[in-house]
Amino acid sequence: MEHLGLDVVLLFATGVFCIGVYGVLSRQNLIVILMCVELMLNSVNIAIVALGRAALAADPPPVSPNMPQIFVIMVLAVAAAEAGVGLAILLAVFRSWRTTNAGDIHLLKG
Amino acid sequence: MESLDTIVFHVTMAISVVAALLVVTRRNPVYSAVFMIVFFTMTAIDFLILRAPFLAVIQVLVYAGAIMVLYLFVIMLLNLKPEELRETVPLRRKLLAFLASAGLFLLLAGAIRSSPKVMSAPSLTAPLPVAAPESVTAAGEVAPLADELFNEHALVFELTSVLILIAIIGAIYLTKKRGTVRHGTSRT
Repeated sequence: MEHLGLDVVLLFATGVFCIGVYGVLSRQNLIVILMCVELMLNSVNIAIVALGRAALAADPPPVSPNMPQIFVIMVLAVAAAEAGVGLAILLAVFRSWRTTNAGDIHLLKG
Repeated sequence: MESLDTIVFHVTMAISVVAALLVVTRRNPVYSAVFMIVFFTMTAIDFLILRAPFLAVIQVLVYAGAIMVLYLFVIMLLNLKPEELRETVPLRRKLLAFLASAGLFLLLAGAIRSSPKVMSAPSLTAPLPVAAPESVTAAGEVAPLADELFNEHALVFELTSVLILIAIIGAIYLTKKRGTVRHGTSRT
């Protein structure tokens, strides 16, 4: 139990990402779909931080030591903006249709 | 310390996966939001172990704090009844979604397992080499992170503020009450 491989952490992040993909594809509640998108963004953050931690041990370092974490901060800012606009759209949809079920909203369906 | 870190990481990974599955499967979005907070807290512990203390704090403050409170706020604002939460997803579509995500996982897992660089990387909980410079040992702490963010990546930082400004304007415009009721099939 001494060794924590980079592959284990990356597989974990991939697993969480795929759970998020499953949620987006199989759920109809718009709030839960937005949460699944957050889940996917967060799993990517885990992968970036793990890769950055692995890069610290490399000699010479392939990137500046702080670069991956700055990347994560940017992803966080995008996630916050996404949550704000997503929930605003949700409220606007709820106001017109009185529903948050993606199955009931089919204005763009051909 | 090294084996303790590894054990804690494995425990948080297990809890995270269970919490993520519960987020996706619960019918009531309030439960989803609560398990989301569990997931974000576990991620914060992961960040601490991976030498990212500042990100761990930000994770709890911004994700578990601000963003999830926003979600819970919207859930409470909508005040949905149990019958409004019912979903009618055909089993075939659920199966297809499962196959698609499982296929994606297998594809990515194959790519990870076949990368020699990833497989030969040293343990993530091992101490850093003794000869490592200070820039490496202090990586992830607030001062060096801020130094690099505000000096080398100042333009990106400023662009982020523009992005958030656009998001704020968009959110205000979308939620603004308009005079006339638009189209829609209200089920009143």
